[in-house]
Amino acid sequence: MPWLLPYLLIAPSIVLLLALIAYPLAFALRNSFYFWNLQMAPEPMGFIGLGNYRLALTSSSFLASLENTVLLTLGGTAIEFVLGLAIALVLSAQLAGMAPVRALLILPTTIAPIVVGFLFRYMYDPGAGIISWLLRSLAVPLPPQGLLGSQTTALASIMFADVWEWTPFFTIVLYAGLLSVPQQIIEAALLDRASDWTIFRRIKLPLVSRTALIVLMLRFMQLFNTFDLVLVLTHGGPGTSSRTLGYALYEQGLVQFNLGLASAMTWIIVLIVNALIALYIFFAFRDWEW
Amino acid sequence: MEHQRSLPVRLLLYAATLLALIFFIGPIVWFIELAIRPPESAFAVPPQFVFTPTLDAFRHILVDPGTNAPQLVNSIIVAGGTVLLNLPFSIPAAYALSRFRMRGKKNIMLWYLGLLMAPPVAFLIPYFVLVTRIGLSGTYLAMVLVLQTLTIPFSVWLMKSFIDEVPKELEEAARVDGAPWYVVMLRITLPIVRPGIIVTSLFAFVFAWNNAAFPLVLSARGTATLPIGTLGYFATAGVTWNYIAAAAVLAMLPPMIVFLVFDRYVVRGLTFGSVTG
Repeated sequence: MPWLLPYLLIAPSIVLLLALIAYPLAFALRNSFYFWNLQMAPEPMGFIGLGNYRLALTSSSFLASLENTVLLTLGGTAIEFVLGLAIALVLSAQLAGMAPVRALLILPTTIAPIVVGFLFRYMYDPGAGIISWLLRSLAVPLPPQGLLGSQTTALASIMFADVWEWTPFFTIVLYAGLLSVPQQIIEAALLDRASDWTIFRRIKLPLVSRTALIVLMLRFMQLFNTFDLVLVLTHGGPGTSSRTLGYALYEQGLVQFNLGLASAMTWIIVLIVNALIALYIFFAFRDWEW
Repeated sequence: MEHQRSLPVRLLLYAATLLALIFFIGPIVWFIELAIRPPESAFAVPPQFVFTPTLDAFRHILVDPGTNAPQLVNSIIVAGGTVLLNLPFSIPAAYALSRFRMRGKKNIMLWYLGLLMAPPVAFLIPYFVLVTRIGLSGTYLAMVLVLQTLTIPFSVWLMKSFIDEVPKELEEAARVDGAPWYVVMLRITLPIVRPGIIVTSLFAFVFAWNNAAFPLVLSARGTATLPIGTLGYFATAGVTWNYIAAAAVLAMLPPMIVFLVFDRYVVRGLTFGSVTG
């Protein structure tokens, strides 16, 4: 049965993964229809139909976390892409001494997000953190509760830490893309007296667009699931000002132990993420060869 | 690059490079300094850039009383165990997806990719309840099993990209001599892609090493990994930042070493092999 062979080779991994994801999804689906607080009872405490979904979708804190997540994801992805591309273009001039810089630049991306959280919590310290100190030295007015303690700056501070960690990711990948643009094309354009800007817009950008699409989408999804940074930096506060969907879910399920409500939130998030992944796959892998 | 740039342009490019270097590497240096500076200078205003370095914080976390030493071992066990368990699942799958003609290949590949983008927190709560019920609470096995949802899809994608690069002709020659497929795989293809398997394993190790969500919920005091243990410092009164920084430096080192040593595979690793750069 030669046609069966490849499926047999793939089967163990699929079976293991299915077992690992089917249970949580089924668990969450069932319990999303029950009222259940783990601190009150070890088993679900009563069928309430769609009550948990209604509660989640009408709760201002859940909607706030949805809004924060969208802001963080769109803002973070956009800044990281533009800044990353700009640095990649600078480095692609390949002036003497730039090669080691490019190699070092990846370092922020290698650090665990939770550890990046430690780093920025130290630097954001309202009293003596170096970021607060620098901003004060530049006469930038800071909120008295500190950057992480103020409703207006908490989410932006999380985004800034994420931009620090992930901009190099875009730089490194787009740099590789830029270098693979054939030299002859650029030389031909130069002979035609094309400007640097024209070469960038008409030649380089279209040729790295496929790579760009893949990294943009990957990063978008990771940012949408942001959890570690919020956990270390703000616990979603003050109030709900920096709460993301991932953190809201964690808090509802594993701090408050409202398993029923958390399960409904899980399914709402799973549905949103699945829709995004489907879109992603449609656009990024449309013309892929398998 | 393609043409000689004028001096002002070159100066501008160098200035931008320097700025990027300070912005992205400065915070790392600053945190490493925190780990080796005297505790009283940790929150000095203005910041102290010059000080007498000390290894006291490392001595505290690793030797006496060695608060974080067991967590360092736990991190190695969890990440190492995760990679070892993932290999027998991902190598055959990657080989099949690279070498055999089959229906649904695209959908299978995209299904793996979808898992890599799933929100880990969505799975945390059910895993927490499940693991408690079946008596695996706080065990290495629970973490190693659950981390497979990340490392198997990652390794399949990355390894497939390496196997794709081995010329099919090498296998065909052996097949003509009558060797069955598994002999071809074990004797010809896998030895050639061994460097690719090693690179994949190291990046998968980093992936598991850097994961905090699963150990946060599934580990116990005795099995906590390094970042989770470090998080514990915030729970005690009077946060000891020198210890946090020293533990964080230990947590940062293995990924940094892997990325710097395997620089030429970084683009591929970060994009799961979808950009081979």
